[in-house]
Amino acid sequence: MTSSTTSTTVLGKSVQRPDALDKVTGGKHYPVNVTLPGMLHAKLLRSPYPHARITGIDASAAAKLPGVKAVLLPQDVPQRKYCPVYFVPTLAPSMVQDMLIMSDTVRYAGQPVAAVAATTAAIAEQALELIEVDYEELPAVFDADAAMAEGAPQIHEGAENNIAVNPVVAFGDAEAAFEKADHIFEGVYETQRVHTCYMEPRVCVVDSDTGGNLTVHSSMQHLFGLREKLAFVLGMPESKVRVIKPAYIGGGFGGKLDIGYIEPVAALLSLKTGRPVRIEQTRYEDFISTTRNPIRVYLKTGISKDGRFVARYAESTLDCGAHATHGAEVINVHGMFGILLTYPCPDQHWEGKTVYTNNMIGGGYRGYGSPQGAFAVESQIDEICEELGFDPVEFRLKNSYHQGDPHPFNPQAKLDSYRFQDCLTQAAERIGWSSRKAAGSDQGVKKRGIGLGCQPIWVSGCVGFPDIYEHSGAIVKLNRDGTADLSTAAVDLGSGQITTLCMIAAEELGLEADQVRMTYADTDTVPFDAPSHASRVTYSSGNAVKAAAGQARQRLLEVAGGLLEASPDDLEVCEGMVRVKGSPDSQISVVDVVTRAESPFVVMTEEGPQPTNLEEKGTIIGLSSMAPPANPSPATVEFVEVEVDTETGQVKILRVVFAHDLGKLIHPAGAEGQVEGGFQQGMGYALMENLLFDPDSGACLSSDFLDYKMPTAVEMPPKIESIFIESNEPTGPFGAKSLSEPCVTVPAPAIANAIYNAVGVRVRELPITPEKILAGLGKL
Amino acid sequence: MSLTTLENYFLPGSGGEVVQLLQEYGERAMILAGGSFVHGLAARNLLPGVDVFIDIQKLGLADIVAGSGGLEIGAMARLADLASVSEIREDAAWGALSDALRCPPVQIMNTATVGGNIAAACPYFDLPTAFLAIGASVRTEGSSGSREIDLEDFFTGLFENSLAQEEFLTGVALSRPEPGSASAFVKLETNANDLAIVNAAVHMTVDESGACQAARVALGGGVNEIPLRSAAAEKLLTGQVITDELPAKVGQAVQADISPMADHRASAEYRSAMASVLTERALRSAIARMTGGN
Ligand SMILES: Cc1cc2nc3c(=O)[nH]c(=O)nc-3n(C[C@H](O)[C@H](O)[C@H](O)COP(=O)(O)OP(=O)(O)OC[C@H]3O[C@@H](n4cnc5c(N)ncnc54)[C@H](O)[C@@H]3O)c2cc1C
Repeated sequence: MTSSTTSTTVLGKSVQRPDALDKVTGGKHYPVNVTLPGMLHAKLLRSPYPHARITGIDASAAAKLPGVKAVLLPQDVPQRKYCPVYFVPTLAPSMVQDMLIMSDTVRYAGQPVAAVAATTAAIAEQALELIEVDYEELPAVFDADAAMAEGAPQIHEGAENNIAVNPVVAFGDAEAAFEKADHIFEGVYETQRVHTCYMEPRVCVVDSDTGGNLTVHSSMQHLFGLREKLAFVLGMPESKVRVIKPAYIGGGFGGKLDIGYIEPVAALLSLKTGRPVRIEQTRYEDFISTTRNPIRVYLKTGISKDGRFVARYAESTLDCGAHATHGAEVINVHGMFGILLTYPCPDQHWEGKTVYTNNMIGGGYRGYGSPQGAFAVESQIDEICEELGFDPVEFRLKNSYHQGDPHPFNPQAKLDSYRFQDCLTQAAERIGWSSRKAAGSDQGVKKRGIGLGCQPIWVSGCVGFPDIYEHSGAIVKLNRDGTADLSTAAVDLGSGQITTLCMIAAEELGLEADQVRMTYADTDTVPFDAPSHASRVTYSSGNAVKAAAGQARQRLLEVAGGLLEASPDDLEVCEGMVRVKGSPDSQISVVDVVTRAESPFVVMTEEGPQPTNLEEKGTIIGLSSMAPPANPSPATVEFVEVEVDTETGQVKILRVVFAHDLGKLIHPAGAEGQVEGGFQQGMGYALMENLLFDPDSGACLSSDFLDYKMPTAVEMPPKIESIFIESNEPTGPFGAKSLSEPCVTVPAPAIANAIYNAVGVRVRELPITPEKILAGLGKL
Repeated sequence: MSLTTLENYFLPGSGGEVVQLLQEYGERAMILAGGSFVHGLAARNLLPGVDVFIDIQKLGLADIVAGSGGLEIGAMARLADLASVSEIREDAAWGALSDALRCPPVQIMNTATVGGNIAAACPYFDLPTAFLAIGASVRTEGSSGSREIDLEDFFTGLFENSLAQEEFLTGVALSRPEPGSASAFVKLETNANDLAIVNAAVHMTVDESGACQAARVALGGGVNEIPLRSAAAEKLLTGQVITDELPAKVGQAVQADISPMADHRASAEYRSAMASVLTERALRSAIARMTGGN
């Protein structure tokens, strides 16, 4: 039915990325390179204590240091609580407003307590050492369970037992269903705190003018969110805040979704001094600014004799650290897309808790709660299969949703383009699943094993059911040389949004990919766009770009129709010409049409110069501002082959096969790159990444990449194979849905399952370090 | 210390000037060689009070000279320079060194110096372990002239060495190995730019009967505060005919000489278990080299 794909001329080709050359020659347009005349540099003083009240600050010596232009203390900061997250209105009740910038209570080690702007970063840093802060230390707690226990230190007023939010979602009657189950499995699965490790640090330059207007350059994922939060925090009208869209940023992965403290602090310092103020975080500061929340999941599953899910119960405890930030939304996405909606099961009950501790704050991170859920769900499925003798692939096939089923989250919609089963069977065949050995049966010191992990249901944007709050907009303007300019607020995080959106516009306009250029945008000049988050840009922004390009194309055909004396409906755009379909001689170039439409034009004739008789005049332009029609679900399956050294516990990844149900494949090389990067993050999460903290002081012990270990090119497998299984998503631009997050979610369970298959050791706590494997083998 | 609060930076042209500056600035001064570990030390608050750099790149000291007695390596020779010396690449006796030089990432190979790798007295570096196994001494210059210190006596503690306050390292000397020698080095790390969790190196000389005449077994990477030699393992190995069972026994023997540290990268138990595994693997690799493998 919807498995055949739309035929296209531009889409499906690995065209060169327009930003590629710029980036490999230094990337001068990264926000980190923004400098403005007279710019000051600011540094933040951070609390050494995890929980304390500030009883006094003396910054007089710092203010006198030559070169220091302004000092910012908590009393200079409007004490306006805010939630740094942009999210769908349906989750408004779960959003928590906190005082995030500087307040007189410190809730985590490293929280900013003062800032200095000076002519150089070195002077600013020196000045910080001259600020004297008196702290009254308060008792601190670093464990979510301990924080919920009676007598624990209260971290935020009004949060009973330090619980920020406590969602409960149930379908059917899980308790009764467990009674009927033939087998019951339970387990606790734990994940750690990790950082996205974007390459470009968080950095901003904020300038102000005499009218109190702000201009903001920042390495972040959401133009309009930054404007909204910044205006709110500073108590200013939004129209006084202009956020410039960076040409691209050096990675975000959700870690730059927070509208954190650097922009408000730089803004206040700029308003104080009348000069542009720059703040660039060190890697250490980045480590303590935003992380993927650790979640502990207790998962209980009831299974029937014939291997079907009968009942499920889960409790998830999320340690959000000192402020809720994204933790209140992550827990919901985790519960729904990480656990409840993964496979059909009639009777389910889930409880989530987002708990305050004096740990550093969490944030957004690719997958947004799903990796923590998938690690539990997909690990446990393999445990069930091992115990009951089911084949893990067959078991998942039997227990999954099918194309045409009602969407599990939004029953009014259907899983029209869903191809999860094809993903499973094709990837299983590619990896050689049928020749998989029994767990632990490989011989020798180094043992090999195969495992899989799935993300059966994911999103193409946030799920704002029943409405889809993923608004996007675009402007497409045709130039007189036959090219087009595209302008949108969707930020390219490095994952190729520029390329994809230009390709979609080109396809719609009948141009070549390199004839569409992504051009300047800021919050004053383009329509609203939701953040580059939630696997949404290709689908949601893509739909808006297609609509704007379609409008421009329609204008082009109307004008050309007048010139060719043909109906616009009979025209097509091809190779730079507008043609009457079926009569190739009747044609006019796009250049001609655009030129004539845009400006007064005189034609030479035998009777002398004649003005054009074109009635329609004006630049050929299209504009869209709209919400996407739906939120179709993509799916991803991954198989990995590992080799475990049974003497050292070290794991080597030998082979990786992914299969993705993504709708239309737009830019094959870009899609492969997404998956390779996703696997690297997922593999790091599975095996080594871990932000470490001093258990007594709560201070972050990971100061740089000597401590924080992530896979380098050397640890990566020689090749990551991606099978892209296309279908035509009826609501997507040219049939596209999404790709970007599931490839981060599935590696941890796939690797855990492969390790089990290799050596028979089940590790339920990430990262799966060599020590845990050796302990499992009884060698430690 | 933070790099932005540096007070002074000197580029002396002679060893004498270096000694003078060290005398003048005392604890405030630090020798700067390749500079690759400065951030690592500063970020961990291991440079308290340091605000003067004495950059020794103008001194020369970068030559690597082969003579009949052995190899003289200037302190300022880059790791990549050392790796390109054909004798080190080809002589099985120095195999441990070429193994160790395969570990650091290419940027470090091109910036880090041999002297810096030793002088830092960091137990997690690789060259000290390899040098201990193949036998090396360091050359220094100070207020009372130059001296030669056996590498075993050089390391005195975590990030501490036996250099006097106004003394610095000028080179490393390797003596020419006995015929019939081979060595190998093995490292355990989390990723390719990691420092060693544990490393081990074995050097051995075998006589015509196939018996081990002399052996040196060295370990590093947090099996102690300093890289060390295992007397117990060496004793067990010396005089033995090489059998297939021997490497595992030698690996076990190192337990008598190590006292592993626990930190956020590994527990003491894990380091202890790995010390035996890695010693065994290094020995097997050295034996393979001896018998003509590489
Ligand atoms: C990402 C990364 C990966 C690394 N991987 C490895 C690895 O795989 N294996 C490995 O062995 N090492 C590794 N290292 C460590 C690296 O080899 C050392 O940083 C380097 O050898 C130090 O030499 P340098 O010339 O840069 O010394 P510097 O950084 O200049 O100095 C280091 C210390 O030694 C002192 N010093 C330097 N030269 C002298 C001298 N001549 N006399 C007296 N004191 C002196 C300095 O005062 C300072 O205390 C790695 C480092 C990094 C940052």
